[in-house]
Amino acid sequence: MESPALRVYDKLRQNLSVFAGIAGFRSLASRALAQARSEDPGLGEVRVNEDGTLQGLGEMEHQIELDKAAGAEPTNEPSIPLIASLLGLLHIFLGEALTASLLRVTWPGAVLDDCNSENGRKA
Amino acid sequence: MSTQDKVTINKLPTGVPGLDEIMGGGLPEFSFNIIAGAPGSGKTTLAHQFVFANATPEHPALYFTVLGESAIKMLRYQQQYTFFDPAKLPGAIRFINLSQVVLDKDLGAVLEQITKEVEKANPAVVVVDSFRTMVRKPQSDMELQAFIQRLALFLASWQATTFLIGEYAEDELRDNPIFTVADGLFWLRQTPERNSIVRKLQIVKLRGQDSVPGLHTFRITDAGVQAFSRTFGLTGHAKNPPSHRRLSLGIAELDKMLGGGVREGDSLLVAGSSGTGKSVLATQFIAEGIRQGEPGIVAVFEERPQAYAERAASLGLDLETPQKDEKLSILYLRPLDLSVDETMHSILDAVQKIGAKRLVIDSLAGFEMALSPGFRADFRESLYRMIFALTGIGVTILSTVEVDESFTEFPFSTYSISFLTDDIIRLRYVSIDGQLRKIMVVIKMRGGNHAKDIREYEITSKGVVILGKRLTNYQALISGIPIHSDRSNPTEEPSLDTGIEHKT
Repeated sequence: MESPALRVYDKLRQNLSVFAGIAGFRSLASRALAQARSEDPGLGEVRVNEDGTLQGLGEMEHQIELDKAAGAEPTNEPSIPLIASLLGLLHIFLGEALTASLLRVTWPGAVLDDCNSENGRKA
Repeated sequence: MSTQDKVTINKLPTGVPGLDEIMGGGLPEFSFNIIAGAPGSGKTTLAHQFVFANATPEHPALYFTVLGESAIKMLRYQQQYTFFDPAKLPGAIRFINLSQVVLDKDLGAVLEQITKEVEKANPAVVVVDSFRTMVRKPQSDMELQAFIQRLALFLASWQATTFLIGEYAEDELRDNPIFTVADGLFWLRQTPERNSIVRKLQIVKLRGQDSVPGLHTFRITDAGVQAFSRTFGLTGHAKNPPSHRRLSLGIAELDKMLGGGVREGDSLLVAGSSGTGKSVLATQFIAEGIRQGEPGIVAVFEERPQAYAERAASLGLDLETPQKDEKLSILYLRPLDLSVDETMHSILDAVQKIGAKRLVIDSLAGFEMALSPGFRADFRESLYRMIFALTGIGVTILSTVEVDESFTEFPFSTYSISFLTDDIIRLRYVSIDGQLRKIMVVIKMRGGNHAKDIREYEITSKGVVILGKRLTNYQALISGIPIHSDRSNPTEEPSLDTGIEHKT
């Protein structure tokens, strides 16, 4: 079964592709993946497909789940730094207000309180 | 068909300052329009301004991006403009990328995708940016014509006002099926002239609308595109009937020479070489207006407002108080890279803001020099349009102009701008009895008697003071090197001619 983080990625992919085009989204996702690899070298095996979907991440997360079930030390989901990077890129390119607008397309009911940002402003 | 049977075409605000006036009141609702021009000419910015001015959650806008500038980069830059309101996204404005369908499929699929999105969102405004990239794929003229026809028909039926944006060269204007179908065609140009860039906008066509023809200057600032109508936004203003009222220049003897003062709504030119008192005379004219309750504008190019006011104070004329009371505005215009139309719009804005009845332009030479070289070619034409527009609504204008003085000629103006003026006063130096003295003469007054006298004057602490009698003991005064001819009993009062207009 697909992890919640992967489902988040996929919703972002679908909606950002409408806005930026499939090629536009794929470029962003590739950059985000490269940045996330520095945090989790395990992402080295993951690839971004032509349509922006991810290849290899599902298998990685499945393996983590299996390891966890077998009593291994819990590890972070590798898709989380990827999503963080993706949102970080949107923030860099478009700024806080527009990024929040785009996220509202994906999650219309979401309350985007940016409680962790440096200035604590609402997104 | 009576007027009440005719359909009313709503006009939508363009969101571009000055453009509604150029379009004849705004953009016709449900029209199918093209914004054409070279890359960097402001097409996307103009479309964004329209979208942000009109889109609401109830009447949203769909902005289709195609191949070309990526949507992310486009929004990165566009959000820098002050009109960009991020709160309008995504409720009122939605961006949809069509690149993939354009790359992978044919025009039929593109139309199908647009149709699907339009039916889903029911938008009031649709933009396709850039449309040109969409129709670059090889296809027959008939295919393209059919596509455009169907797109235009569909979007109009869905009550959408549409913009297609495209990079087109001027020579593509002819025989292009896209331009034939369009209701509105707006062409943006930018051409380098010496070290400046001149931006011009043309409404090539606009169905059902009385747009202002010709090329209009526009500028792109952090507020977006701003257009400057060739008619300065005064086309809708009723022209005042010719006035018979005479305005005092604040110099009683000069008023007499002018047959009672300058006619209200006239354009008066004061020409003379450096130091002859043109600015002093202009200051007295504006100060007299303030005294009579007529607000005024002074546009200066060669000194700063503070210095101008201080010089007026040295003549006993208070220009500080009326500035505080918003009865007077002194504009310091050193635009350098501004167009002549933009500069004139600044003057017009000031005139309209305080309801000015008198305007001083000091000086025309300074005005021209302050303009970027690329705009100087338009100077006289634009000046003519501004003077015509302002005098038409009853503003009386006094312009000063520097004349190269020679002691062999008596040019009225080096500017060939006599046609701009109703009245001309000429000031000049003259060599008399071993002194360099000053004389003035009224050269021309349209529609009125004026004195033919050549009068000597001085500039004193009270301003321009005309000395008692006309100079009768000299011949060839206007040459600057008169010949003394001893005649007694000079006439005491200035003599008026019988309405003969002096040709200049």
